[in-house]
Amino acid sequence: MEAPALQAGPFDIDLDRFHGPLDLLLHLIRNQDIDIFDIPISKITQQFLGAIRNLQRLELERAGEFLEMAATLVRIKAQMLFPRRGDDDEAEDPRADLVRRLLEYEHFREAARLLERAERTRSRLFARGFVEARPAPKLADLPLETTWDEVETALGGLIERLNAPETIHHVRGREIKIDDKIHEILAALQQARRVEFADLVAPWGTRLHAVGSLLACLELAKRSVVRVRQVSPFAALWIYRAKQEREAA
Amino acid sequence: MIRASRVIEALLFASESPLAPADLARADEDLDEERVEAAIAELRAEYERDARAFTVYEVGGGYQLLTRPEFAPVLERFDSVPGAQRLSGPALETLAILAYRQPVGRAEVEEIRGVGSGGVLKTLQERGLIEVVGRGEGLGRPLLYGTTQFFLQHFGFRSLDDLPRSEELPVVLARREQRKEEADGTAAGVSEAG
Repeated sequence: MEAPALQAGPFDIDLDRFHGPLDLLLHLIRNQDIDIFDIPISKITQQFLGAIRNLQRLELERAGEFLEMAATLVRIKAQMLFPRRGDDDEAEDPRADLVRRLLEYEHFREAARLLERAERTRSRLFARGFVEARPAPKLADLPLETTWDEVETALGGLIERLNAPETIHHVRGREIKIDDKIHEILAALQQARRVEFADLVAPWGTRLHAVGSLLACLELAKRSVVRVRQVSPFAALWIYRAKQEREAA
Repeated sequence: MIRASRVIEALLFASESPLAPADLARADEDLDEERVEAAIAELRAEYERDARAFTVYEVGGGYQLLTRPEFAPVLERFDSVPGAQRLSGPALETLAILAYRQPVGRAEVEEIRGVGSGGVLKTLQERGLIEVVGRGEGLGRPLLYGTTQFFLQHFGFRSLDDLPRSEELPVVLARREQRKEEADGTAAGVSEAG
């Protein structure tokens, strides 16, 4: 008589939805408006067993919990078959303990629901510090926006470059040694007491030589070997022999 | 002289967690808990009048500045980090049992829930919602758990008296609590209506 009910409707149950066998049992009872103080144990047992048909999908511990409840139900069902002596008021209903557990569980399930509501309400209020200073995102956390097309294009470019004929440009600066320039200046000062910077540079005619000469000139000035004079900006720059200058003075 | 309400405001502003009235009163010689309460009331009225985005809430035995609920959508959207994580169903069930029955051991929790609860208890403990408060009498002196101050803060309760009261729960609980009250003579659950 109950067989069709097992196949569909409220009894085609996803066990993962339930927190345990008590939760499942309560669901069966409450969803069918069954009087919890007078549970039709045979019917409920059948439905419970039907619901846990797919038990093998659960992990062992959870499966054990459901099986234990199934065993309890079957035991109660069997006890119900024994006639209780009518004159003995003390004889407890075999279902009594289960009912007590169900009611207790239901109470806490309800309390949990109220806690959840309180949590939801509280989670809408924010304290200072909620919006934290944001650290720079880690590289790994950033979404990659590169597509395969782009990788292919890059690869194509690489291959093209590898296949391109090798053209080598050797760029080599002419070596100008400051020491050479120092000797040049000193040689020039052997000839004359003073020499104009422009004359010193003129034979070479390149900027690099001018820079070299200037550095050599400054180096000599630092060593107090020469003195450098310029009357005004952009005027002729004269280099004097320092020693003779002093002697002359 | 700086007004008491300004002093309290400064302290609440600078704190990221709730401050108890006694702590607030220690800030200034002129303050006592009564004046603190008065200053809090003053601040609330002021924030209300100026339609500020926050006000003073009482959570977990202390006062805290929190944004008003209507700003929740903005704040939730603003922060890309997933918001406060909600507790799972089993965690809430376990917490409910602890909240009403504490101190309580793992065995009792498992008996009521009908399922193993060791993992859930561990998680709740790690999240600071429950703590070991003692050891039971039975075999092996089992650990007994209770809820923490952080539990109150997380759910926005001022104290355990703020827990949903018996009349909001199914009849059975009321009966149980009544029995308990009769047994130990204390009127648990009697508190100012929230």
